[in-house]
Amino acid sequence: MSISAPEQPALLTVKGLSAYYGESRALYGVGFAVGKGTIHSIVGANGAGKSTLLRAIVGMMNRGRAAHTAGSIEFKGRRIDALPTEEIVGLGVTMVPEGRRLFASMSVEENLVCGAFLPRCRGTLGETLEDVYSLFPRLADRRQQPVSQMSGGEQQMVAIGRALMSSPELILLDELSLGLAPIVVDQIYERIAAINARGVTCIVIEQDTERAMRVAGAVSVLLEGRVVLEGDPDELGRDRVSAAYFGIDSEGQGG
Amino acid sequence: MNEDLYWTLVDIANGLLSGVMLGGYYAIIAIGLALTFGVMRMVNLAHGDMLVLAAYLAVLVLQFVPISPFITLALVIPVMFGVGYALQRFLLNAISVQSMERKGMSAGFGLMSPILVTFGLSIVIAHALLGGFASDARIIRNALSYSAVRLTEDLNLSTLRLIFFVIAVAILVALHLFLRRTHAGRAIRASADDAEIAPLMGIATPKINALASGIAIAIAGVAGVMVGMSRTFQPFDGPVFLLVAFGVVIVGGLGSIVGSLVGGVLLGITQVLAGTYFGPSAQLVAGYILILFVLAVRPQGLFARRR
Ligand SMILES: Nc1ncnc2c1ncn2[C@@H]1O[C@H](COP(=O)(O)OP(=O)(O)O)[C@@H](O)[C@H]1O
Ligand SMILES: [Mg+2]
Repeated sequence: MSISAPEQPALLTVKGLSAYYGESRALYGVGFAVGKGTIHSIVGANGAGKSTLLRAIVGMMNRGRAAHTAGSIEFKGRRIDALPTEEIVGLGVTMVPEGRRLFASMSVEENLVCGAFLPRCRGTLGETLEDVYSLFPRLADRRQQPVSQMSGGEQQMVAIGRALMSSPELILLDELSLGLAPIVVDQIYERIAAINARGVTCIVIEQDTERAMRVAGAVSVLLEGRVVLEGDPDELGRDRVSAAYFGIDSEGQGG
Repeated sequence: MNEDLYWTLVDIANGLLSGVMLGGYYAIIAIGLALTFGVMRMVNLAHGDMLVLAAYLAVLVLQFVPISPFITLALVIPVMFGVGYALQRFLLNAISVQSMERKGMSAGFGLMSPILVTFGLSIVIAHALLGGFASDARIIRNALSYSAVRLTEDLNLSTLRLIFFVIAVAILVALHLFLRRTHAGRAIRASADDAEIAPLMGIATPKINALASGIAIAIAGVAGVMVGMSRTFQPFDGPVFLLVAFGVVIVGGLGSIVGSLVGGVLLGITQVLAGTYFGPSAQLVAGYILILFVLAVRPQGLFARRR
C-alpha cells in the first residue's frame, strides 16, 4: 500500500492498522498519513469501517475482548495506539462522534464547558468559549437552552464547538452531514474551512463523496476495511473515486 | 372556631410539618443510591449497610472522645468518602459492564455482577459489625433527643428533626451546586449522560466514577449518623434503610436531586399522616401503598430525568 510522502513530517501516521470487534474484523491493515494543517477526507460506503478507523485513532477501540486494534498510530511522532482516550485528547486529538452524542441533560454552554475539562484548557476557558461563539453565533444566543430542544444543525454546531473546547491540533469529524438539510451542511462545512484556516488539522468522514472531495486536500477511499485509493482529489477525479467507493475494479491499487 | 375542626387542623399541620422534616431525612438516606445509579447504572445493595457502618463509626468515636455527635461527622464524612472511592475504584469498576465486556463476558454478566458483589458486601459489613460490636441495639446519645421547637401552643417540631432537615437541604443544595458549577461535577453528569463519549472530553471515567461513589457514600455516612441519633440500630439493619432509599428513589425518580427531596417529603408526609389517623402500624403500609401507586401510574418516578 502506498503512502504519499508529504514534504513535512505528517501530524498523524497510521500504519498497518487492523481493528476487531471481538472476533469480527472491521479494518485490514489500513495506512495513511495526514499532513499538518490539511483536511484529509475518508470516504466509503456504509459499513466500510470509517467510524471504526476514527474510533481507533482516539483510543475507543481499546476495549479488550470487546474491541481491539493492531498496527501503529503515531501523532506528532509519538505512538498513541495504546493510550486511553482521555490521554489522547490531552495530546491534542479529538473527535466529533457520529450522531453528535451531546450530553442530553445539559444546556449548550454546559456541553461546551465539558469540552474544556482538561486542566490545560481550564485557564483559557472564557476565551475559548467566546471563540466558539464567534464561530457559531447561533449558539451564543442559545447558551442556556437545553440541547435536546435544538435542531439537528444546531446540535451539530454544539458537537463541533465542544470538540474545539479542548483546543485540539487534530479533529476527527464523523459524518457531520448525517440527517441534516443540504443548506445546513453547506454552512457547517464553511465553518470547518474556517476552523482549518486557524491551523486545526481535520479528518473528515463522509458518505457523500462529492462533498468530501470538495473540502479536502487529500482523500482516502475505504472499501470493506481497506484503503483502495488515495491521493489529491483533483488529480484522482470523481470517476476513479466513485469506482473505488463502489469497489468497481478499474484500479490497480489495493482491493 | 369549632373545637373539633381546630384539632383536625392541628393534626394535619403537625403531620405535614413532621412529614416534611422526615422527608429531608429520607432524601439524605436515598440520595447516594440515586447518584450511584444515575452515574454508574449500578445498584449498590450495600447502601443501607454503609449507613449502619457510619453509625457504628460515630459510636466508636464517641467511646473515646465525649463530643457532640454532630462533630463526629468531621471524621465520618472523610472516612466514608474514602470507603466509597476505594470501593468503586478497586472493586466495582473492575466488574462494570465495560470491564466485563473487556474480559469477553456478556453485558448481562456485567449488569448482574455488581448486584451480587454488593449483596455479598452487605453481608460482610453486617458480620464485621456483629463481630466488632455484638448484636446489642445501640443509639447515638445526644442532648437533643427530647427537645422540641414550639411554633404555636399546639404546633411542635422535634429539634433533632429540624436540624436534620436543615442539614439535608444544605447537603442537597451543595451537591446541586457541585454538579452544576464545578468541572468535576459536570464530568460526573457527563459520564451519567454518555459514558462512552465522556473520555473524549479528557475525562478519566474510572476516577470520576470513584469520585461519584465517594460522594454518595459520604452522604450515606451523614445519613447513618442521623439515623443513629434518632433510633436504635443493630448490625443487620442495613436492608431496612436500603428499602427506605429504594422507596424514595422510586417515588422521586432516579438520578434527580430534586426528585429525592420531593420523594422523601411525599413519603414522609404519607407516613406521618397515616400514622396520625390509622395508628403506627399504618405508617409502613401507607408508604408502600404510595410506592406501588407511583410504580403503577408513573414508573419512571415523579421527577425522572429525561435520558
Ligand atoms: N460495536 C460494534 N460491534 C460489532 N461490529 C461493529 C460495531 N460497530 C461497527 N461494527 C462493524 O464494523 C464494520 C465497520 O463499521 P463502521 O466503522 O461503523 O462503518 P462506517 O462508519 O464506514 O459506516 C461494519 O461491518 C459494522 O457492522
Ligand atoms: Mg460510521
